[in-house]
Amino acid sequence: MSDTTDRVAVTADGEWTADVDEEEGIVVNWFASEGASVSEGDTLCEIQVEKVSIDILAPTDGTIAEIARREDDEFTIGDTLAWIESG
Amino acid sequence: MAQQEPQRTIERELTMSRAMVEAIGHEMRENDDVFYMGEDVADYGGIFDSTEGLLDEFGYDRIMDVPISETAYLGAAVGAAQSGMRPIAELMFVDFFGVAMDQIYNQMAKNTYMSGGSVNVPMVLTAAVGGTYNDAAQHSQTLYGTFAHLPGMKVVVPSTAYDAKGLMHNAIRDDDPVVYMFHKRLMGIGWMPAPTGPKTPVPEDDYTIPFGSADVKREGSDVTIVTLGLHVHRALEAAESLAEDGISAEVIDLRTLVPLDTETVVDSVRTTGSLVVVDEDYRSFGVTGEIVASVADEALDDLDAVERVALPDVPIPYARPMEDEVIPDTDDIETAVQELE
Repeated sequence: MSDTTDRVAVTADGEWTADVDEEEGIVVNWFASEGASVSEGDTLCEIQVEKVSIDILAPTDGTIAEIARREDDEFTIGDTLAWIESG
Repeated sequence: MAQQEPQRTIERELTMSRAMVEAIGHEMRENDDVFYMGEDVADYGGIFDSTEGLLDEFGYDRIMDVPISETAYLGAAVGAAQSGMRPIAELMFVDFFGVAMDQIYNQMAKNTYMSGGSVNVPMVLTAAVGGTYNDAAQHSQTLYGTFAHLPGMKVVVPSTAYDAKGLMHNAIRDDDPVVYMFHKRLMGIGWMPAPTGPKTPVPEDDYTIPFGSADVKREGSDVTIVTLGLHVHRALEAAESLAEDGISAEVIDLRTLVPLDTETVVDSVRTTGSLVVVDEDYRSFGVTGEIVASVADEALDDLDAVERVALPDVPIPYARPMEDEVIPDTDDIETAVQELE
């Protein structure tokens, strides 16, 4: 609906996906909330796949516009967990 | 840049385990004498995440896995501390203290006194405490009273990430032995979800919270609820619910048992006249009796009503409905308050 051109997706993805067989996981902890400003590399949230915890880092500087998967929500690898508005 | 930092620290929240780890990492960077030893603290990162990520930065010399002998490695920690280092040694479960009782009770706690002050023991004994997750009688105790009872050790019990970090900085810098008891359910672990509350904003810079300063987590005027650890959050939930019935409850988080901040508790009781003490340790000879007696010493005339909510004197059951029955929950706290009125 809204203009998403300046939004960067935070996805449940990374090098760790090569080490897991499961496709699904759960969001364990968010460390930032909507409206928070973040820097590239900040730890945004912790997810768990196959009982292993993985930290998801901010892919860019900006403001967290929307959290799409909240604590205790399930996701499939590659899903968007949140959107960051850059700038 | 300096202007931006404070703003960002307010926005960031941490789980209690990450706040503890941040304080430990900071102290290890500042002081080469600080190191951590315990069972499964290196590669595993602590089975309750108490050392998660520290091995990568500091290596096996400073984040040490130890053989399964609490007597051996707690004794080694006491010796290292007496030789000028600042060890942090972890009991994987506080319940395991028994096999190292001499090292804790007779060596760690007493060597400063016994040596006439020629040595001191600046170590931190961290220990995972608490139940609520069906781990049975030998892995579910808090033993707050057992540690607070004996002179010579300071005893710290954080309930939030903010408190956990500040208290950990203070514990590591303290020149006396400090027992730092972290409740497993507050750590923010995936398989043991924490209640709402322990995850808080945490400043990135170091800061200390002085021992012996209880924290009023919620202000109220009708009744004083005194508690610690996990039960701070259960008491806050009870207070929220009691407010709907028109009862205004003050919730005091002790944060440290030794030294004990009786002043904050007494000041509150002078206002409310009613005291409910909530503890996840056994009822007899423990925190609840001690707090009630301390208040009675100072302000007996102001004390109109007293209740204590604690574990009955039984081994903690494994079966979920039975464990839920013995460990005080929000309803138990509410009921205790209502029975005062």
